[in-house]
Amino acid sequence: MSKDKTPSYVHQNKGSLGKRVTNAVTSWLMVLPAVAFLIAFVVYPAVNMAIMSLFYSNATKPYKKFIGLDNYNTLFFVKKDFYNALGNTAYYTAGALVSIIVFSVLLAQWMFRSRKLNNVAQTVFFTPHLVAGVSAGFIWSWLLSSQSYGLFNTVLTSLGLPAVRWLDDSSTAMISIIMMNTWKNIGYYALIILSSMKSIPTEIYEAARLDNASSFKIFFRITLPMISPQLFLLLITITTGSFKVFDSVRIMTNGGPGDSTRVLSMYIYDYAFQRNNTLGYACSAGMIMMIIMIVLTVFDFAFVEKKVHYQ
Amino acid sequence: MAQIEFRNVSKYFGSNKVIENLNLTIEDGKFTVLVGSSGCGKTTLLRMIAGIGPATSGQVLMNGKDISEVAPGKRDIAMVFQNYAIYPTMTVRENIEFGLKNRKVPKEERNRLIDEYSRIVDMYNLLSRKPSQLSGGQRQRIALARAMVKKPAVFLMDEPLSNLDAKLRASMRIELKELHQKLKTTFVYVTHDQVEAMSMADIIVLMEKGEIQQVGTPEEIYHEPANVFAAQFIGTPPMNIIDMPNGYKMGYRPESVVFTAEKPAGDGYRKKGRIVTREMLGAETQYKVELSSGQAVMVKIADSRFREKQDVWITVEPEHLHYFDLSGVHYSHGGAPELLAEVVGGMNDV
Repeated sequence: MSKDKTPSYVHQNKGSLGKRVTNAVTSWLMVLPAVAFLIAFVVYPAVNMAIMSLFYSNATKPYKKFIGLDNYNTLFFVKKDFYNALGNTAYYTAGALVSIIVFSVLLAQWMFRSRKLNNVAQTVFFTPHLVAGVSAGFIWSWLLSSQSYGLFNTVLTSLGLPAVRWLDDSSTAMISIIMMNTWKNIGYYALIILSSMKSIPTEIYEAARLDNASSFKIFFRITLPMISPQLFLLLITITTGSFKVFDSVRIMTNGGPGDSTRVLSMYIYDYAFQRNNTLGYACSAGMIMMIIMIVLTVFDFAFVEKKVHYQ
Repeated sequence: MAQIEFRNVSKYFGSNKVIENLNLTIEDGKFTVLVGSSGCGKTTLLRMIAGIGPATSGQVLMNGKDISEVAPGKRDIAMVFQNYAIYPTMTVRENIEFGLKNRKVPKEERNRLIDEYSRIVDMYNLLSRKPSQLSGGQRQRIALARAMVKKPAVFLMDEPLSNLDAKLRASMRIELKELHQKLKTTFVYVTHDQVEAMSMADIIVLMEKGEIQQVGTPEEIYHEPANVFAAQFIGTPPMNIIDMPNGYKMGYRPESVVFTAEKPAGDGYRKKGRIVTREMLGAETQYKVELSSGQAVMVKIADSRFREKQDVWITVEPEHLHYFDLSGVHYSHGGAPELLAEVVGGMNDV
């Protein structure tokens, strides 16, 4: 084929060799800061963790003795406490996910109409998001305390209801932590939902009213599908965020009563820093946690995202 | 079949008055066009009929019954919005079906109706598409099908053609007209475009600043404009309006002017002028002529031989002259000898 017959677009895309090199260098330079950061603080620790999980070790000697997959063997087949931590984490994540999404959407729906009260409400509900997790944990452990100063029980008993041993009972401890984190995050997520609800054209609602749709139907057939991109964002961020929950559990129950609120990140922390020669073991648990989170996210993108309506 | 009546309706947005004490009857089975410049209250009236923007005071009646308290979905009306308001998350089929489902129409009947109406608007092959995969014209067709499938007594349309390109708009005008002839229901159509109003309407309701200026057939509004506003709103270019020495105004349509190079004989309006611009539009040519008095007037005639900067004589025969009284209300068309005498005596060039 003669040179003239090369399609013109091929020519335009290629340019001269010097230009191509300059282009490549410029684009790599632009992404370099982000890539460097990612390698230093995500890829390197992850790879390191994978290697350490194959060793018998402690914090001062991370590579004390190579033991192959023994840590994983212990994790899955010898000890039973890993499954307990995994179960607790799953319970917390599912509870927090459902509770935060449902209440954020309800709150956003309530704040949707422009009333003066709603401007106040937005600020009030957003404020907890600004409070440090540790402080919020402390505040709630006081509020939920079984001692005389516990506000929740004071209210319950003054209404003639039996007191609840919120954080001291293994059946209510995790629910209490979910309550706290819902309270802390709901304002933030409701704001995201609210802004996407406000971007829905009003004519669509008017058309639905002319189509004789009930408000129930308008909510489920119009509003929810229209805010699905934001709901999907919430699904991903709340799932991954909740799976890593640490500070509120550490402050409010420290894993108790018994091991009923010991979640994965606390489990890893305990084995890594509170015990002797189990750093490698903690790393193997960390590896499993990372893999689960990757699988969950991939699952969300592969299956749930199909239901999302992008404009 | 339905007749709509507004009784003393007013609409305020906060303290901003849009419509005050308006009375209007929209006849059953007619294609009524509400036309006026933006902000004149035409869409506000339409939304009152729909029930999605209720009147601040007054009554809206449908076949003599007050519907002010009836929910939009129970009014036996359908509306096509300016931006179509298609449900973006639903397929074409679901869009058409939504209103039927909410009215508890049985499934078989629904399928039959969707089949029938999607064929009417030529969207049958696209029923499983999402609106984002469709062009503006196709979305408009869904909006129409969604409205038609409900078989409403009243069709409301809020500038449904304004988002379409010129060619598609022209063909949709004809289709809507045919649709009206086929369905024979009451159509209420809002537009700011007087060409659309003239070409489609049985009855035009001309509005300005929340008040009705004139109600009439396109012929009536064109030939017998009720006031200066109506005379200048309808027609392209609008009617030439010229002040008379006695404070009255005289008007004539650009189409009723006769052009000559030499001074013509006879009565009527005779004026010398010079052509400023010339636009050749095909069948007609439009000239802007500066009169000896300094005022510019528009002339639209078939003759395209005249050129820019050419001196010409403008002639308008007495039967084509309109007169408007001191308050701008139409006074006479082709009559009023006393005013003609004033034109011939006081305004004509010699």
